Amino acid sequence: MRRYAAPLLFLLPATILILLFFVVPVGMTLYLSFTDISTLTFRNPKWVGIANYPTLLRDPFIGKILLNTVRYVSLTLLFNVGMGLALALFSSSVRERWANQVRAVWLLPRILPPVVYVLIWHGLTREAPFGLVSDITGISQNWISGRPWTVLVLANGLVGASFGMLIFSSAIKSISQDLFYAAAVDGATTMQTVRRVVLPMLRWPILFVTAYQTLSLLTSFEYILLLTDGGPGFYTTTVWALHAYKLALSNYFGNVQFGLGAAMAAFLVVIGVIVSLIYLRIFNFRELVAEPKVEVN
Amino acid sequence: MAKSFHVGQNQGGEDMRSKWLIAAWVIGALALALPAVPPAHAQQRTIVIKVWTIGPDNPSKTRFENVVTAAERLNGDLRREGADYQIKVDGFFDTTDWAPYLRRLLLAFQGSDAPDIVQASAALAPTWSAAGFIAPLDTYVPKHQQFSDVVPALWAAMRYAGKTWGIPQDTEARPLYYNKALLKRLGWTDAQINDIPKRIVSGDFTWDDVMTLSREARQKNIIEAGKGYYHRPTQGPDWVQWYRSFGGRDFDTATGKLVFNKAAALRYYRWLRAGVDTGVIERDRLNGDWNRFMQPVTDGRVLFWSGGTWQWAEWEQQWVGAKGGEQWLFENFGYAPHPSHVKGGKPITLSNPQAYMVSAASKNKDLAMRLLAYTTVPDLDAKHAIGSAHLPVLQRTSQLVKNRFLNEVSYLLAYSTYLPPHPDLPKWQDSFYRGISAVESGSATPEQAVDVVAAEMQRTIGDKIIIE
Repeated sequence: MRRYAAPLLFLLPATILILLFFVVPVGMTLYLSFTDISTLTFRNPKWVGIANYPTLLRDPFIGKILLNTVRYVSLTLLFNVGMGLALALFSSSVRERWANQVRAVWLLPRILPPVVYVLIWHGLTREAPFGLVSDITGISQNWISGRPWTVLVLANGLVGASFGMLIFSSAIKSISQDLFYAAAVDGATTMQTVRRVVLPMLRWPILFVTAYQTLSLLTSFEYILLLTDGGPGFYTTTVWALHAYKLALSNYFGNVQFGLGAAMAAFLVVIGVIVSLIYLRIFNFRELVAEPKVEVN
Repeated sequence: MAKSFHVGQNQGGEDMRSKWLIAAWVIGALALALPAVPPAHAQQRTIVIKVWTIGPDNPSKTRFENVVTAAERLNGDLRREGADYQIKVDGFFDTTDWAPYLRRLLLAFQGSDAPDIVQASAALAPTWSAAGFIAPLDTYVPKHQQFSDVVPALWAAMRYAGKTWGIPQDTEARPLYYNKALLKRLGWTDAQINDIPKRIVSGDFTWDDVMTLSREARQKNIIEAGKGYYHRPTQGPDWVQWYRSFGGRDFDTATGKLVFNKAAALRYYRWLRAGVDTGVIERDRLNGDWNRFMQPVTDGRVLFWSGGTWQWAEWEQQWVGAKGGEQWLFENFGYAPHPSHVKGGKPITLSNPQAYMVSAASKNKDLAMRLLAYTTVPDLDAKHAIGSAHLPVLQRTSQLVKNRFLNEVSYLLAYSTYLPPHPDLPKWQDSFYRGISAVESGSATPEQAVDVVAAEMQRTIGDKIIIE
């Protein structure tokens, strides 16, 4: 037992954090999802078993919301990871001075508070003569209403891309210089170097960024809330997390249904776990964390 | 040594003298200062009354400021009465939105942080009383003569399950506005335009006329697409009023149950759909953005729109100042009750009176009610009514107020209806609104939407609703 004392001690802080901020909230969410807790029954919630779950599924528009979620996550993810990768490749191929400037600029949306960032978007996308996009394109419309999905993906993607950019650039830097020399000696073009040398070496960071971003996109809704509030019109851009938030926490008449919202959140936990497992499978996680076959120093 | 002793002694003497002098000064100063502070003050307690209020429209800030003024007056009286306490109002006026305000309130009610006084729509009283958040006020109301002058109909809106749950704060009407300048470009004379309210009252001018005129204006390119008729861009109490104007009933007084009339809802949904299809109503009218309502309306680009009397103050103070303020509004905007859907039908408006309620957890209910009595006085009532274009709650205030707009819209109260008193009303409203959103955006046909809404109401409200 004593030989495990030190490792256990070192694991303790992380374990406590995970228990406190992951396991306990999941347990509470599950518990709430089995009650009818709402504005009316806040003081005396009743245990209703799994009743909230069929109620959710019987909503004729839940499919639309699910599809919106898939659309939002996949489109934004594609933009995020693709743009992050492109930026990393670009900034790694120019001089360090310039590279840092480019990266700094791309970090701006991330360090801006979301409300301020979205205010800028609101300003850009208004009708002429107020909005820049309308002025430039000559088409006067409210672009958030006119093209809500494009705006959502762009607004989210521009924030998200910097994450991939940072991870990928540092990963590219850590690729042994010898490999590039070897590729050059073999007469590889830039594209071939990227495809045959850089990308294979980036497999692990790409897995990490993709998995991480998928999970955070699944649960994030703040930019949608601020940009379109799930509209315009009927659930046009309402995703699962936003719908859960509205059910559980935000209603014009204060009629909030924590129980139902918790059931939606519980669904999201399940979806998140399934998606993570799929990723681990696709990217062959075991092999990625296996002992290296050749020790390179 | 001796010398030094001498010097020391001398210095010591001066020290003593200056000490005495300082002491004398201090005593003198204290003697002067003391009479200004009554001896009782030392033992006086300060009782904090927490007051939460909301507009969310800016001009309604007197919902909070009036309570603060009332507290000052009450403190004056408390001093005169020799009470051993003073009160302090601690609270805020919220200008964000109902959803976050109500969420904050809900958590406060449930936690230990509930405000003593909370202002909200009286229609929330059934839900909150059923949940046990607010206290019945029947025993307190007769103790304060200020309340006896409140418009009797408003007390009815404060009652649920045989008890009074709020003190009326203000009320309003929700008129149908129309743009006179655009109607003139359609070829209407001043006399014809000024006749609209009368024709609506007599049942001669209906929702179909709103639609026909809007289409005509669109065809003649007098308005842009979608700007024939504007309704609010968000959820709100008004939807019940429009459903009623299409012949719907939402409450069965005999059984105390909510009612959903599918035929009336279908008429309304079809009317909206036809509006979208013919370019009279915007497909994304429910865009959640009030600025996108106010801007075109005050730019004079919308022909008909449904609003509230309080918006008059918002337009005047925040939107048309540069164009001439209220004068511009009078020249360009007309107002009437909402029409019926059939010739000869009755006009309608909705009042959603605001109320000050006292939380069940308050330890100072007596004092809170006394403070509300001091708030419910003609001068403060008038100040709020004029400043925010709401209608006053006291009968004497109406005589006091010389305000053209308020005088001209006060007749609308004759056609006013209230929201039905039912704890499950929000669920009804949420379902009905979902139907509208689905119909306008084209996600469902009016027929489908009515079925979905009926099924959802049945599911969420159960045996407390009659679907007919």
